[in-house]
Amino acid sequence: MAILTVENLYKNYGPIQALKGVSFSVPEGSVFGILGPNGSGKTTLLGIIMDILRPTSGSFKLFDEIPNENHRKRIGTLLETPNFYHYLNAEQNLRIAAEIKGRGKEDIERVLHVVDLYNRRKSRFSTYSLGMKQRLALASCMLGDPKVLVFDEPTNGLDPVGIADTRELIKRLHKEGKTIIMASHLLDEVEKVCTHVAILQKGTLLAHGHVDEILVNEDIVEVGAADLQQLQAVLNSYPRATHLKQDGQFIEVFLPAGTANLEEINRYCFEKGATLNHLRLRKKSLETKFFELTQNNN
Amino acid sequence: MGRLLYIEWLKLKNYRTFWILGILYLISIFAVNYIGYRIQEEVYREEATKGMAQMVLGPKPWSFPLVWHTAAWITSWLLYFPGLMMIILMSNEFTFKTHRQNIIDGWSRHQYIMVKFVYGILAAVLSTVMMFLTALFFGFIHDSDFSTDNMHYILFFFVVAVTYTMAALLISLFIKRGALAIGLFFIYGLVIENLLAGLMNYYLKNAGRYLPLESADNLLMPFPFAEAAQKQITQPYNHTLLFIFAIGYLLAYFYFSYKRWRTADL
Repeated sequence: MAILTVENLYKNYGPIQALKGVSFSVPEGSVFGILGPNGSGKTTLLGIIMDILRPTSGSFKLFDEIPNENHRKRIGTLLETPNFYHYLNAEQNLRIAAEIKGRGKEDIERVLHVVDLYNRRKSRFSTYSLGMKQRLALASCMLGDPKVLVFDEPTNGLDPVGIADTRELIKRLHKEGKTIIMASHLLDEVEKVCTHVAILQKGTLLAHGHVDEILVNEDIVEVGAADLQQLQAVLNSYPRATHLKQDGQFIEVFLPAGTANLEEINRYCFEKGATLNHLRLRKKSLETKFFELTQNNN
Repeated sequence: MGRLLYIEWLKLKNYRTFWILGILYLISIFAVNYIGYRIQEEVYREEATKGMAQMVLGPKPWSFPLVWHTAAWITSWLLYFPGLMMIILMSNEFTFKTHRQNIIDGWSRHQYIMVKFVYGILAAVLSTVMMFLTALFFGFIHDSDFSTDNMHYILFFFVVAVTYTMAALLISLFIKRGALAIGLFFIYGLVIENLLAGLMNYYLKNAGRYLPLESADNLLMPFPFAEAAQKQITQPYNHTLLFIFAIGYLLAYFYFSYKRWRTADL
């Protein structure tokens, strides 16, 4: 079952096109990262799915059905900023969210413990720090233990400990079998927790799929030798390499994904008279990939 | 709907501004009538002027059956307050972005706007009940004989009250910033529309009486003092037509509020 299927979604704000025909689907049980720089359309996309924005054209489905408000009750969502009544305390705010979702109040205590706000439950929301507000929003998402969670920039405003905690939380939720859809402009964050990724840039979906497929479609082997020029000459004739790149004191050898064989490269160089002093297999980092994808489109 | 209203109640229960304004408003309904009542007693007290007052102003306005009309008319000036509270509650939601969160959490847009409509109607009902009790009180302390004549003004008052809350809701849906919405609501109601109405009445044969708020306000006209004298200088009011206009505007407020909420980006 697909949790979410987006079909050819367009959204214009006046002359500005925020989404230009985005389509993808989120499989059950995945941690699906929507990655893109600020202003790439991530929040617009999630806003449409939550029915607070109207698409210009296109459609989407939740749980393989035409979406309605009852689907949203089964999804815990944190969109953009924590939205609560400033004059109510944490408990009263969660009470409202729980009632709207059709859950009882018995779950409130549990989620307050999960995000470590139980001791501050009687404090008014307006007295909370940014990090506490964010944690309260995460607590609200977890009310009623929904199978699907949607987080928009979940670590926004959190300190390093908070960020680490949130990542642990997402990983734990994933292990419990939940589906998580997460928008982020932080590559590192997506790389660390996501199983699937969709890369958005200026409203266009550049790539989407399993993290391994999107992120690693090339192996890179770093090699070094005392005489780099000689080494380069030798490697130029290495049949498996797609291309070479000199990067400082090393040469990067690019190979099709999964074909890098360090022993073979070592032997090949040695037989051709170049002795290596450095040899390392590097998978392409998401960051490189991300920059590559977004820059090609500029 | 009961469930939706219960959730709205949770939002209001601990909102102090709302309670302070609300209670002061209800007290004010009694207070403005009391002020009027005291003036009346002053004017009609003196033996010497009694006959004069009776002759020029007619029977005492805070006695049955006139009191239904008097209380409705004078209380209607306070109806900006429930309007103001509608705007505050709505613009709060915009400020806190809780209007989004309510929908994200699982309300439909339809449910959200419907409960706001019910809110406005409840505020009007409450105002009407308070006005009714106040009229009853002053009618009775006056020792006049209870009378149901003129009680249609209670219905008219209710229409005026719903008009104000719904116009306020409409304004606040289009102008999300609370201070601006409140300013426009008051300036339109107190200045702009009266100016337009004055000009239109003068140049266009009283057409200004049928402007949005005017057509509801005028249901309570002519005001219940010296009616005989007023009739000398103004054209009679066509209450049936005013009522039709007032209901028409109300339906338009509901329609445009609903349409806005269903189609806009929130």
